[in-house]
Amino acid sequence: MFKKLVTWARVKSPWILHFNSGACNACDIEILASLMPHYDLERFGVMLKASPRHADVLVCSGSVTKQIAPRLKRIYEQMPDPKFVVAVGACACSGGAFRGCYNVLGGIDSVIPVSAYIPGCPVKPEAIIDGVAKLLAQLDKESA
Amino acid sequence: METVKVMLYILVFPGFLFQMIYSTYLEWVDRKLYARMQNRRGPLYTGWSGVLQPVADIVKLFAKEDVTPAASDKFMFNILPLVALASACTAGLYLPVWHLTGFNSFQGDLVVVVYLLAMPSFVLFLAGWFSVSPFSLIGATRVLTQLFAYEVPFFLALLTPAVVAGSWKIADIAKYPWASGNWWVIPLQVLAFIVAVLALQAKLERVPFDIPEAETEVVAGPLTEYSGKKLAVFRIQKDISMYAGSALIAALFLGGFGGGLYLGALQLVLKTLLVVALLSVIRGACARIRIDQIVSFSWRYLAPMSIVQFLIVLLLKGGGVI
Repeated sequence: MFKKLVTWARVKSPWILHFNSGACNACDIEILASLMPHYDLERFGVMLKASPRHADVLVCSGSVTKQIAPRLKRIYEQMPDPKFVVAVGACACSGGAFRGCYNVLGGIDSVIPVSAYIPGCPVKPEAIIDGVAKLLAQLDKESA
Repeated sequence: METVKVMLYILVFPGFLFQMIYSTYLEWVDRKLYARMQNRRGPLYTGWSGVLQPVADIVKLFAKEDVTPAASDKFMFNILPLVALASACTAGLYLPVWHLTGFNSFQGDLVVVVYLLAMPSFVLFLAGWFSVSPFSLIGATRVLTQLFAYEVPFFLALLTPAVVAGSWKIADIAKYPWASGNWWVIPLQVLAFIVAVLALQAKLERVPFDIPEAETEVVAGPLTEYSGKKLAVFRIQKDISMYAGSALIAALFLGGFGGGLYLGALQLVLKTLLVVALLSVIRGACARIRIDQIVSFSWRYLAPMSIVQFLIVLLLKGGGVI
């Protein structure tokens, strides 16, 4: 019963933190577009938070460069448990066009564990919403 | 028996439980109105039309990991959220929502309530100070700077209805139009009402006065390092402060909650909703201003406005009209 309540609250109120680990800005614009009135993610209780301490879901865009890798790890460690990472865009999923560059480590999963991958270059806001909804549905199913 | 009754007052009706439930409802109204102002729908799928959204947020935060930064002062960092919540709740406890009197009204409780409503701002400053992070330190100093700007106009504005009723007791002030029949004092005090609403907006640190927690500049201000349970307590405190502040303004400026239990309860809901709606409209219509702009705005416009209002009321009082 108590566990059910907590799961319900977790699924209904995912607060996100947006992190750009070396994206070309296209995915970031799409992430912001999905938060804007046209798509309005607040319908699902999603709120964009500024501090990693407040966030549940880390929304990363872009391939991980060598310079950003320790910072990404630190931001991830600053988030309180339970936490989830969503990789948004082809670069975040695998490194994309920048895979194999001298200064690029690869996708987000080369540094921190990733819960959901959303491909696309850039991803559509609909795809982001779908990915987040699937992550939350999975979370709901696992704890049930 | 008497003890049980007092405990019920403190914990259930005008006290903690009622305030917590009602303030989450107020937060939902606020979020919905804000969303409508921005042409959005706001929370939609949590309970009926998203009415349980603030509850879900709070439950989720209570179930999250609680991080205490290594650099922070552990004792103060952990105790401060509770102090803020306690003072906000106590402020709500003295409001005359119980048959036109508070359950514990006394002469001078207006000053106590104003003091208790100012406490969370000081606590927020201390919270930022003791979490020892550059962002929270900057946010903490901004909290205090802002406090100096809005606190005096807020005091002056709340002084006006006290002078009209000739009492420092909130229950007497709320009762004044009912007892004397002078309902025209409510439109007379419109200037002070505007000042009080704007100062309450600044007190709650909402747009356009959200300078201490401006996320584009200082992450989340004093609350940057707070997570889990403590953040949840701060959120409850902010909601209860909104309830207590709006109910205080409704009691002082909008004629209180008289007319028996049911009519009184109805008035409590309608009048606090009116004040909260005003706060949401201000939040939706404005952009954030700078810290120097709020100080000059408060001292150049809000303080003189409340003094003019005060003079009008004093002259009428001296002339024997009121």
